[in-house]
Amino acid sequence: MAFQILLNLFIAFVWMFLKVSYDPGTFIIGYLMGLGMLFVVRRYFRSRFYLGKVWAAIYLVLLFFKELILSNINVLKIVLQPKLDFQPGIFEYKTILTKDWEITLLSNLITLTPGTLVVDVLENEKEKILYIHAIHVPDAHEAIDGIKNTFEKAIMEVSR
Amino acid sequence: MKSSDVILQTTSKIVFFVILLFAIHLFFEGHYRPGGGFVGGLVTAGAIVLFLLAFDIKTVSILLPFDYKWVTAIGLLISILTAAGSIVFNVPFFTHTYDHFHLPLIGETSLHTAALFDLGVYLVVVGVTMTIIQTIGESE
Repeated sequence: MAFQILLNLFIAFVWMFLKVSYDPGTFIIGYLMGLGMLFVVRRYFRSRFYLGKVWAAIYLVLLFFKELILSNINVLKIVLQPKLDFQPGIFEYKTILTKDWEITLLSNLITLTPGTLVVDVLENEKEKILYIHAIHVPDAHEAIDGIKNTFEKAIMEVSR
Repeated sequence: MKSSDVILQTTSKIVFFVILLFAIHLFFEGHYRPGGGFVGGLVTAGAIVLFLLAFDIKTVSILLPFDYKWVTAIGLLISILTAAGSIVFNVPFFTHTYDHFHLPLIGETSLHTAALFDLGVYLVVVGVTMTIIQTIGESE
């Protein structure tokens, strides 16, 4: 990933030196040409072509905004109801993510979407368990599946 | 299974640099806008305190191997030397001077000896704050 970006920058700079012009336009053209070249030889790198990773990161941000708006509306519905008939609860969530930054990102995404909140992280060498408090969990498995299919999958896509 | 501070530690590793950059920014803004040595020093100490909260005193002392009493002393020395430097040029104590210089990358800037005095203040504030906090933290 990092090596590919470095190589792409190198190609862009070589293009600038060849053209003997040092304005941003030349750099952008060189960078785009480097992208094309790297795409052609993408199978020779150990990691995958880095635009996929960039796209995955952008997708994660968009997904977060979507979830933020949707869950805000859900919490608003609960707050504005005349009678309080929601079931708060804490469920445990075994995550398959391993790296520190992945756990942090997942926890922050869960916490920032209203209605759910990471209370604690337990870990040993093998597995990591997040304890999540939710404002309305009629079915814990459903909530777990929801997180698994959205945030965890998107984060796995970024770190793959 | 034990509870871990993974979220706090990972976040503080990132946020530390943001706070430190903001502290440096405050330090250099002090001449024309709100900011200066005192606030910059306090914010820097705040960044180190964030590390102290996320990790422990031993880890942080390995990371930043400063004796903060010395930091205070060096800060005071810089301030007094900046103030005393004016005596050499036969002007009253604490007279500051400035001039315009053309620096690479930054361009046309005015360098002022008050910035050196401010650096001394900055170091004194960081040193004193960290000395107080670490002394309280270490006393069992």
